[in-house]
Amino acid sequence: MYSEGNDKTMVTDMALVVDIRNGDKKALATLIERHKKTAFRIALGLVGNKDDAYDISQEAFLRVYRSAATYDEKQPFQPWFYTIIANLSRTWLRRRSLRDNRMVELDDVSWLLVDDRTPEAAVIKEETVSDLRQALKELSFEDREIIMLQHFRGMSYEEIAHLLSIPKGTVMSRLYYARKKLAGLMRLKNGEK
Amino acid sequence: MVKNKREMLAGYVDGELSEAERQTFEAALAQDPDLRAELEEFKRLQEVTGMVQYADLPDEVWENYWQSMYRKTERGIGWILLSIGAIILLCFGLYETMGRLFADPEAPLWLKIGLSVGGVGLIILLVSYIRERLFAYNRDRYKEVMK
Repeated sequence: MYSEGNDKTMVTDMALVVDIRNGDKKALATLIERHKKTAFRIALGLVGNKDDAYDISQEAFLRVYRSAATYDEKQPFQPWFYTIIANLSRTWLRRRSLRDNRMVELDDVSWLLVDDRTPEAAVIKEETVSDLRQALKELSFEDREIIMLQHFRGMSYEEIAHLLSIPKGTVMSRLYYARKKLAGLMRLKNGEK
Repeated sequence: MVKNKREMLAGYVDGELSEAERQTFEAALAQDPDLRAELEEFKRLQEVTGMVQYADLPDEVWENYWQSMYRKTERGIGWILLSIGAIILLCFGLYETMGRLFADPEAPLWLKIGLSVGGVGLIILLVSYIRERLFAYNRDRYKEVMK
């Protein structure tokens, strides 16, 4: 997961948390260095604001530090860490938007950008990207989560199932309905123009 | 069954169906124009999301990530200590003031009543806030992870 799903890395992440539990701050620094960007990107996908995603990612590592004593080292690190990030994001959204964990109307539109590395980027209209941003904001937390993990994190169904502790069939089902809603919202945005 | 086949649409687009599932789905696709229309819509959605990416932060922000965390933690501890100190001083000051006020027979009655009522109101607010926090904490499904 997070492109680091191989056994060696998973063992190392788990071992780091055990070291953190024993008070090893260098282990925490190593874990942060390894996962800080991933944590930020996941939070960004969930809350749609760079500054808050940055704060949430840092808070997630602090929670890891504080919760290390209760971490079961037989369990993989990524789902546990992801749960921390997702819960912090939910709490942030609950405090700010108060309804169905939808994103608040924020002025920050720069959290989702056209990828200049792709040749198709030259033809995609900024309007389409803007529609996508708006549509993503209006999805529920769970729908946005599954879209983020598959579309923007490029995770396989198996990886998502492992991360969210749900069956693979449920991943497929959730993705189907989330995409239906997203496509519907984008059609609506286009229709409004 | 139609519902299951529609849900398989996501797996088909992502190449996540088994060979048997793919064949079943393609057979359904051949018969169902609505399903074909949905497929095109999903493909279009994939194209659009494939052309965008999440914003990143400047390198210097990442380089200072750990220090920034450390400073936030320090400040958090600082704020907590400052708050505790302020509460202690406030309570002591309030206690001294009210003690002297009530002991002074020439102090106006309205002042004594006003301070008493205000003091009681403050205590009620504090208790209410603590209760609310405890209530939320006890019902927090994720407290084992978030503590």
